[in-house]
Amino acid sequence: MNALTTVRLLLPELILLITGFVVVGVDLLRRRNDEGRSAAFIAVVGLLLAALAALALGLSGTAEIAAFTMAVDAYALFFKAATAIGIALVVIASVGYMAGRSRYLGEYYALLVFAALAISLAVSATNLVLVYLGIEFLSITSYVLAGYLREDKRSEEAAVKYFLYGATAGAVMLYGISLLYGATGSVDLVAVDQALQASGSSWLLGIVAIILLLVGFGFKASLVPFHQWAPDTYDGAPTPITAFLSTASKAAGFAVAGRVLITALPDFIDAWTALLAVLSMLTMSVGNLIALRQTSVKRMLAYSSIAHAGYILLGLAAIGVQEPFNGVNGLLIYIFAYLFTNVGAFMVVQAIEQHSGSNDLQAFAGLIKRSPGLALMMTLFLLSLAGIPPTAGFIGKFYVFAATVQQNLLVLAAVAVINAVIAAAYYLNVVRYMFFIETEEEKPVAIKPSLNAVLLINTVMVLVIGIVAQPFIAWASESVNMVIAAGF
Amino acid sequence: MTLLLFTVLALIALVGAVGVVMSRNAVYSALFLLVNFATIAVMYFMLSAQFLGVVQVIIYAGAIVVLFLFVIMLIGGQIGPVTVGGRRYARLLALVLGAAFLLLVVLGLGAALPPGEAPLGAPQAGSVQAVGQELYTTYLIPFELASILLLVGMLGGVVLARRYRELGKD
Repeated sequence: MNALTTVRLLLPELILLITGFVVVGVDLLRRRNDEGRSAAFIAVVGLLLAALAALALGLSGTAEIAAFTMAVDAYALFFKAATAIGIALVVIASVGYMAGRSRYLGEYYALLVFAALAISLAVSATNLVLVYLGIEFLSITSYVLAGYLREDKRSEEAAVKYFLYGATAGAVMLYGISLLYGATGSVDLVAVDQALQASGSSWLLGIVAIILLLVGFGFKASLVPFHQWAPDTYDGAPTPITAFLSTASKAAGFAVAGRVLITALPDFIDAWTALLAVLSMLTMSVGNLIALRQTSVKRMLAYSSIAHAGYILLGLAAIGVQEPFNGVNGLLIYIFAYLFTNVGAFMVVQAIEQHSGSNDLQAFAGLIKRSPGLALMMTLFLLSLAGIPPTAGFIGKFYVFAATVQQNLLVLAAVAVINAVIAAAYYLNVVRYMFFIETEEEKPVAIKPSLNAVLLINTVMVLVIGIVAQPFIAWASESVNMVIAAGF
Repeated sequence: MTLLLFTVLALIALVGAVGVVMSRNAVYSALFLLVNFATIAVMYFMLSAQFLGVVQVIIYAGAIVVLFLFVIMLIGGQIGPVTVGGRRYARLLALVLGAAFLLLVVLGLGAALPPGEAPLGAPQAGSVQAVGQELYTTYLIPFELASILLLVGMLGGVVLARRYRELGKD
């Protein structure tokens, strides 16, 4: 492979790397009253270029390489493009939010770009060393971002909790990796699979390694019982960062878990699908039941985000080779739909927060009279979170639920449907507050132009994915075919 | 000869390890840890893993123990001699779990290693060249990623740890 090909295949990562450094550099030269705008602008341009590069590589079709511990395949490129777009939205939304709240805005945007770099390396990793490094890189940037509001005690609490849980989960995952290495003598995913097949005797060891690895992935994806950090961290972190943690960062956890389990441990499929099914049921139920009782909308969305991790996990638990619902394509569609929906929902919370200083349900009261546009957008996002057509969330839920039915996991499907109903109750409660509860507050909510742009993009995407779903479904399905075919 | 050397080193390492746990003074613990790290480094050299040996000396014996000492000396004045706290059943539990872990390690190693002479790596396997070759070919991307990770970690550390000044003032 010549150098030019390598550069072409690593283009998204190289763009992100250079962007990260340029953003820090530009911030050093900025004018006093710039408030990080130029840094944010460059970050957005870099992120979008990286997403474009990933999309172009995916379209060119011949992008498969498996060298340097990475695979630049359709599966990885899907996640690279999706998360880079998601983080670009987070950056735009941060402009109005972070200005005046921190002195170190250039570093803030640079850290977000580096987080995108971490995700894009992690989702490509075909080697446990890179898997670990990628996840750890993402975690370290996330800890800092969660604690970015130095004057806010809750932001510090968010960072400390995230860090303590993350360090422990990382260590446990590393132990799982070392077990696999000890059993197979390799850290390459394909070689691990071959060695496990050849030896055939280390069943118990495989199970233990899977459990330990799932601790690490489960932490990133906030699966119950590795979710304890999530509510406080989501609640205390700056709202744009909450949107990032609950979407792009989570997507990385799922992407890596999917690749490792499918590529390195296909022999243990019965074991890990059973484990994931249990985790999925737990995650959905715990997330939804606690979300039901929240009065802060931000906290409610935090718990709902845990519940959504459970739905997304259905895709991996119900993995199969049948068309058209092989589970993993559902996982991809769900994540893509959830990205826009959840970023949108958190952005509405952010607008309300900046307007009234509170993210309580009461702050949403009568929103339809004050800011009808914002109320309608929030309603759309909530309907999408609840999975009601014609929104993006419906397509995602349909694909993962259908996969469970196709795999005959009827108990799992039943639990998922019951959970969807519970979730609808608390989503619609917010709608009830916005439409039917009276309030003395009469001022319309002032929205910063940057936030408005993000809200509009998300609204359009939620509707487009919901109504013209076919291209997105085809994209997700093509992205997983190769990985599934190679695994089984 | 190798066996004799190994026995002596193992005993020193063991004394170091026990010393870490038994010392009442945290500074002594750290110094015992240094003894332990240094002997293990020598063992790496005996196994012809020169690179690992050097890294063990530089990073563990050098940087990490020094870091420990710094931390102990920064907070040392207030804590006084370290006493083993906890209830009796906690100690008993620790003993049982420790013994179980020892058994696990012994059984695991016994099962994993073939009987007879322990296999030595090829003389060049642990050399700086061999490690460097791997780092710059197969593991190029993880290697570069690690350097970026350290840089970003430093950036984040500075942002979080710099003394907070109120916004708007310089």
